[in-house]
Amino acid sequence: MYVGETGVSYSSIKEVKNMKFQTANRDQAMFKKSLIVALGAMVVALSGCDSKEEKANQAAIQAGQKLAEKGRDAIPGCVACHGAHGEGIAAAGYPRLAGLNAGYIEKQLKDLARELPPAGVAIEAVAKDYSKTPRIYSDLTVFSPGLRHDDIMSPIAKQLSVADIHNLAVYYASLSYTAIPVAADYQVLERGQDLALRGKAEYGLPACVSCHAPDGEGFGADFPPLAGQPSIYIVNQINKWQQGQRDNDNLGLMKAVADQLTDADKLNVAAYYANRSLTVKGQQ
Amino acid sequence: MKRLSFLLLLGLSQLASAVDTALTASPVRIDSYDARASIPTGLTREKAIRQIPAISPGEYFVPPEVGDIPTSKYGDMVKLGRNIFIDTQHYAKRYVGNGLNCSNCHLQEGRKAYAGPLWAAYPMYPAFRNKTRDVVTFEERVQDCFRFSMNGIAPTLDSPEIKAITSYAHWLSTGAPFNKELPGRGFARLGKPRDPTPINGEKLYKESCASCHGIEGAGQKFTNRDGYMFPPLWGKDSFNHGAGMSSVKSCAQFSKANMPLGKGWTLTDMEAWDICTYIWLQDRPWDPRFGWFFNIFAPPTGGN
Repeated sequence: MYVGETGVSYSSIKEVKNMKFQTANRDQAMFKKSLIVALGAMVVALSGCDSKEEKANQAAIQAGQKLAEKGRDAIPGCVACHGAHGEGIAAAGYPRLAGLNAGYIEKQLKDLARELPPAGVAIEAVAKDYSKTPRIYSDLTVFSPGLRHDDIMSPIAKQLSVADIHNLAVYYASLSYTAIPVAADYQVLERGQDLALRGKAEYGLPACVSCHAPDGEGFGADFPPLAGQPSIYIVNQINKWQQGQRDNDNLGLMKAVADQLTDADKLNVAAYYANRSLTVKGQQ
Repeated sequence: MKRLSFLLLLGLSQLASAVDTALTASPVRIDSYDARASIPTGLTREKAIRQIPAISPGEYFVPPEVGDIPTSKYGDMVKLGRNIFIDTQHYAKRYVGNGLNCSNCHLQEGRKAYAGPLWAAYPMYPAFRNKTRDVVTFEERVQDCFRFSMNGIAPTLDSPEIKAITSYAHWLSTGAPFNKELPGRGFARLGKPRDPTPINGEKLYKESCASCHGIEGAGQKFTNRDGYMFPPLWGKDSFNHGAGMSSVKSCAQFSKANMPLGKGWTLTDMEAWDICTYIWLQDRPWDPRFGWFFNIFAPPTGGN
């Protein structure tokens, strides 16, 4: 196999030599023909694209809503714990789902459905010595699946199909949400705010807002919202990172942060974010 | 006949290759959260091993808390300075030519050690600068930040912006020793085991930087407000070629101690050099000290 400079592959050098005998006209004609066919296909694809996608999205939202409200077989309805409109139950520490990023929900459900490896077992990473093979990289890394464990949620997530997970994620992302601020002690809020806005510079601990957005509303699929989440839930999640029950964060950023938080830090910052007001518009 | 069949074969092979290229042309995107090494417990992950410098973190200078800004005319100026510092896009809009804020590099409101902390810089001025070959005051130094790092116009020395930022730096240095080099000043000190390579840098950039700063280095904008959530590293909204961060060395020193955010000291020295060499090769606004001819035909400064 010989790969020419233009990126077109030929089966042998001989064939390449024969190519030179060909006239340029033939190439051009073939190229024109294929171009016309390709353009035609694009026009057809583009014209029907938008409404089809929208229809599929609406169907997914409806299927997700049905599953969330009624459940199926052994799967209980999500509304039992996460509330009728995905607002969660603050007193029990069940998180709100309304208005969260669809990609985030999807990833969390997939991670919850995975088995934690037994204690003491470590998946060996492929050694990454880029200096020796600098040009090949996509096949040199082994990607680890994210891991997240919850006694209640993991058994439920295991029963969901890929389509279920997608439908639920799209449904909850489409819901709007308005947070109800929870009152807290002034000193607690002050310390929580200091940590949320400035972190602890002298220990290299970054501020929450530098990834979770200025109002704690979250950013993209990697950085979930902190505002409008029950304070018990936030504290529980940080505990899980510290105890190794959750390890599915982007680049291990949250792991590094959680390792540095004291018990007081967790309570203060969770109270601060439960005290924030927040309005999220659902994404249809 | 032989010739005909050969042409047919050729046509077929060409068709096949066309299909081949059509399939490979669509970019394969890996989910950002999947692009990391695989060891289930974070404690043993190679990237989680830190090499903190000899000074323990507790020994860095601790500036006063924001709640302790005095209620006075001076305190008001300090508050204005802090506002300008963390939201330059709003409070000093007319002097800024890109999408950055001061606190994009001077992390955590100018408090973070090894990220150009103000409390370590302010007491050291006036000082000699190699860049200008002159002794400059703190105010003149801030002017240069606007001109190069913010790719904008320097506020005059008597402008309220310069006065406010100087007041903020002055207040942050409350209790710091005067004219004495503090631990955590400026950026980290790096070794350079070999010449850096942008090929390795590109790989590392895509693995550990791109999920926030973007594959194209353009940062990520907010969807619900103006400005950038994650700052652009190159392109029109980034610092220009004359900025300190545009030199590979400063960039590497900064990245070593601070990047990825919250996981400082996890990159090796060589990885920091490689990544910054890759970033340096990208396109960014011109150096305002030079005309268009020099900017196009002469290499930009800060290549090593």
